[in-house]
Amino acid sequence: MSDIPTTSTEATAGSPDAPAMPVPLGKGVRRFGRRLSDSALAYLLLLPSLIVFGVFAYYPLYRLFWYATHHQSRFRNRPATYVGFSQIRDTLTGTDFKDGLLHSGLFMVYTVPLGLILGILLAVSAHRRLKGIKIFQTIFSSTVASSVAVASVVFLTLVNAEIGYFRDVSWLSLKNPTSALFAVSLSAVWQNLGLTFIVVLAALQTVPDELIEAATLDGYGAIRRFFKITVPTISPALLFLAIVLVVFALQAYAQIEILTGGGPSGGTETLLFKIADPSGVRSLGEKASLSLGLFVLTAVVAGAQFGIMSKRVHYGD
Amino acid sequence: MGAVTFDEVTKKFGDVVAVDRFSVRIEDGEFMVLLGPSGCGKSTALRMIAGLEEVSGGILSIGERVVNNVAARDRDIAMVFQSYALYPHMTVAKNIESPLAANRKVRLPAAERATRVAEAAEILGLTDYLGRKPGELSGGQRQRVALARAIVRRPEVFLMDEPLSNLDAKLRTQTRLELVDLHRRLGTTFVYVTHDQVEAMTMADRIVVINEGRIQQVGAPQAVYESPANLFVATFIGSPPMNLISGKVSASAGGSVEVTTDAGTVTSTCSASLSKGADVVVGIRPEHLSLSETTSSGKGLRAKVENIELLGHERHVICSAAGSKIVFRQANDAAPVALGQEVTLDAEPDGTHLFDPTSTQRLN
Repeated sequence: MSDIPTTSTEATAGSPDAPAMPVPLGKGVRRFGRRLSDSALAYLLLLPSLIVFGVFAYYPLYRLFWYATHHQSRFRNRPATYVGFSQIRDTLTGTDFKDGLLHSGLFMVYTVPLGLILGILLAVSAHRRLKGIKIFQTIFSSTVASSVAVASVVFLTLVNAEIGYFRDVSWLSLKNPTSALFAVSLSAVWQNLGLTFIVVLAALQTVPDELIEAATLDGYGAIRRFFKITVPTISPALLFLAIVLVVFALQAYAQIEILTGGGPSGGTETLLFKIADPSGVRSLGEKASLSLGLFVLTAVVAGAQFGIMSKRVHYGD
Repeated sequence: MGAVTFDEVTKKFGDVVAVDRFSVRIEDGEFMVLLGPSGCGKSTALRMIAGLEEVSGGILSIGERVVNNVAARDRDIAMVFQSYALYPHMTVAKNIESPLAANRKVRLPAAERATRVAEAAEILGLTDYLGRKPGELSGGQRQRVALARAIVRRPEVFLMDEPLSNLDAKLRTQTRLELVDLHRRLGTTFVYVTHDQVEAMTMADRIVVINEGRIQQVGAPQAVYESPANLFVATFIGSPPMNLISGKVSASAGGSVEVTTDAGTVTSTCSASLSKGADVVVGIRPEHLSLSETTSSGKGLRAKVENIELLGHERHVICSAAGSKIVFRQANDAAPVALGQEVTLDAEPDGTHLFDPTSTQRLN
């Protein structure tokens, strides 16, 4: 929105006759008038998106902040009281937030690298010109088309403590808090695999054959060629996936609800799960404070990824 | 040494024969151009030398070594691709250095690599751009980076796959000269693939003309132009292309053959004796036709002017003669002809080629 006024200001200042001779009054007024109507038009054009953002982003953010700074009884008949930042401070330093942070962090650590590596491996193995390769490409990308709920139920038949196929596999047990979190993470990895596969495969297909051939002639072996030439070329897609997978991890809810319901003994309650609070043990103010914590965490992680990786990501010509 | 020998080399993709029993020896230090229309197998032949395609049959050697089963990286060749294939994430310096640094087993010391990179950059005028990435360079500069990456490894053979086709016309003309110059300085074997006959004529020591996977003719540019081995070569090389008219031999004696066509009679210098009445195809280049001074001799081709192309230094006059299109060249100071005018054209006997209509091979 600042583009149009700035440009016309520059045009006025930069015109060659401006410093040398006094600008006739009429000309200046006309310019000012045009600038005014230009910016009016600009604001008018921006209005729809401002309204959308206002209603669906800024106002909810404001309400979030309002809830976080007010204490509200779980029984809504009493009015909320303003408590300043004390509720936010108490919540974000409490064990509930720390546990949620730990579980969300572990969920991220389990899902993001594993998801990326598996997706790349699958995509690389399916990226060749063979008869019938389309069948494999379809199978590998099929999880994209299944909803989280369906996928989680499918996974449940594998890891269910009573009837699951893998019920005796200790590191997938839903009875133990540590292994339960890992099992839930694995289901998320599996669900995201279709997306990771498709994005990496699409990126691989944009790498020109001649680039790989040139690298072959230069003397790169297959593995070094992959890491020195292919990976840098598809790095924007990998950065995109890393960010998306982190956001998915921080937003994971349905698979936790379906597989463990947050248990055993809160061992799979991630930050978002605590905010959603299906059993309703937290007050609105506490949940708003947790949300603020998650908001800041997401922003910091995404920002850090951009910061660290953008130096190593190459965006073509 | 950097000679490349094809001995009955064949390449098949499934049932499709892309290269059919190639036999040719590219001499050490020669600038050899593989010329042909797209899909003729010239790039496949080049890629077999590079090791990017396996040889399906026959023997391919570089120097004295048979390379049928030698990996691409061990062949001591360098290739310049049509798209240049520069690594977009590396600087110009790293791109040029790549062939020296890629293979860990035979990697040169860093200091030596830096010297070679500086040397190659110097030769191609890239010293000021070493720190840039390919995305920040113009098409011509990228092309020079690709060349620098090729010369830095000092290979036995340079392979080039239509390296000029992504440049604009002016830059292409200039780069042609630079490539010839580079070849002279390096004295290394160049194998150059193109579909552009001008590139082939201007740069090559010898040309291999290829069509439908088969070698049509091998020879120096001028020789290929002056005595094409068959109808394909005759029409593929030369612009505007050679005029072709069907006729029958009406007399053959004493080193010359007279052919009667529907448009008139022409005489060709021909040492072979052809049987009277035999079908032939007469080929005459536009510069070997001229307006007849005397119309009463009965000789020459009768034609009607249909179009005139002005090129500044000359004119191309397009005529129809008994159903065939005939083009002839005129200097721009020659007396102009008018559209629709009936003309008689004389052909130079030395510039009149005869081909067998069935085998398409040259007869004289």
